[in-house]
Amino acid sequence: MRQWYTIFQKEMLENWRNFKWVWVPLVILVLSIMDPITTYYMPEILDAVGNLPEGAIFEMPTPSPAESIMMSLSQLSTLGVLVIILMSMQTISGEIRSGVSEIILVKPVNYSNYVTAKWASFVLISLASLFIGLIGSWYYTNLLFGDLAFIDLLKVFAFYGLWFMFIISLSIFFNTMVKNQGLILFLTIVIVMVLNLLTSVLGKYFNWSPSQLSQHIGEMLLTNEITSDLMASAIITIAATILLLIISVIVFKSRKIAE
Amino acid sequence: MTLLTVSDLTKTYGEHTAVNNIHFELTKGKCIALLGPNGAGKTTILRMLAGLLAPSTGSITFSGYKPNQDIRKEIGYLPQYPTFHSWMTGREFLIYSGQLHSLSKKESQEKADLLLKKTGIYEARHKRIHTYSGGMKQRLGIAQAIIHQPKLLMLDEPVSSLDPIGRRDVLTLMEELKENMTILFSTHILSDADEISDELLLLKNGHLLESGSINELRKKYQTAMIELQFTGDIAMYEQKLLELPSVTNVINKRDVLHVSVTDVDQARDEVIQKAALELWPITQLTMNHSTLEDLFMRVVTK
Repeated sequence: MRQWYTIFQKEMLENWRNFKWVWVPLVILVLSIMDPITTYYMPEILDAVGNLPEGAIFEMPTPSPAESIMMSLSQLSTLGVLVIILMSMQTISGEIRSGVSEIILVKPVNYSNYVTAKWASFVLISLASLFIGLIGSWYYTNLLFGDLAFIDLLKVFAFYGLWFMFIISLSIFFNTMVKNQGLILFLTIVIVMVLNLLTSVLGKYFNWSPSQLSQHIGEMLLTNEITSDLMASAIITIAATILLLIISVIVFKSRKIAE
Repeated sequence: MTLLTVSDLTKTYGEHTAVNNIHFELTKGKCIALLGPNGAGKTTILRMLAGLLAPSTGSITFSGYKPNQDIRKEIGYLPQYPTFHSWMTGREFLIYSGQLHSLSKKESQEKADLLLKKTGIYEARHKRIHTYSGGMKQRLGIAQAIIHQPKLLMLDEPVSSLDPIGRRDVLTLMEELKENMTILFSTHILSDADEISDELLLLKNGHLLESGSINELRKKYQTAMIELQFTGDIAMYEQKLLELPSVTNVINKRDVLHVSVTDVDQARDEVIQKAALELWPITQLTMNHSTLEDLFMRVVTK
């Protein structure tokens, strides 16, 4: 446990010194507040850009607070996921490529400590960033579209955070398998896309897939209750995360890093 | 007492055999040099011992452990081109290393400061590692390898990339460390091996050609040879030397006569008698000067 904390502390310091603790929250915040703000100001923006025929009238339906939050989540599900992968894609592979793991892993480092401490440090950044982003989105939602209870926002955070956690696990999983960071980015995105595709094509079989989380969160905001589908998705996501971590450790243990 | 036993160790990469069926033992407390030309398999052997590479066949047994068991607690390892977390300071990296070895934070800090002083990089302890020179990195590399006082310290080409001063410092440091631990280091520089190692493992193309203490090997590959230097023209003495009964061959290399003989003691007496009689202007007479380089070349090219 002490060794786990040593590695975790080192990761936290590293992410602080290379400014991940600055740029990741910032980017996630911008992504979260972008859509609510641009939607609200869309008529003015169209006006300013011009090019509309004389007398054209646009009726923009004003989104509900729930819809506004969902707009933020949809940004986070695309670009946000990309940011999370970019942030974590070289955490193990980079150390192997640079050769520093030749010095670190000849010490009696427990492989599960190594993998899970790194995982935890990235989960912490992404959850903190998500929280900041959602607070921003909540602020503008309340300002522009009407009230949303803070407790509802916390629920969104709790469930959507699982999705980010799952993405980190995927990224860590590929980190333990391949050295090439581009490949890690590619493989993680492909898995996320395949999950999304399967969910939309074979919806009824994949109703509980991790990628359905945001869909179910939307339902939760509309109906104001935590559906059993949402719970099931959440449990499956947690299970998948744990499974990925276990496999990552096993793969990494069996791998000789100088091969 | 044997600290480590390597049996039938082989490493193949596809068709290429990097290490071929090698057997050796490391005696506790000795300093052993893994000597061989580039590509001989030195790094591959060290990496297998450090657990960074899996042997294709064969076993590595540390005393008190089962064959091929995880021995990372017992060893310290410095790769040929050490890379660190370059965003850390030297002191931070050493403390991190100590803590990974389950030393407490306080112990790690104390050991780190001690080693920073011992390796001569104490002044730079709060500087980021990416500002360190090659020699400083090598010292930091040694410090991180010994912070837990390993039983076996393995250094891959510890001095090859250093300038003469850095080389001298690292060799002095290794000389000190010999007192407390068994050292296995690789090198292709013969004089380094000659200077600090007790035993040699001579490698070529993945084969272990010879092993043993330096004196044993010297004796085994000793050549009966006398070197003579003269003032003035030395060519005329070549023929005279060849006339002596125990001299078999004379070669003139850069105005030094290398005289191969059948028996060194007898040849010496003959040379001295003749020289005294004819008043040869001898400036230097050296016997049995078979350097490690001669030995090395003899073994490697045989």
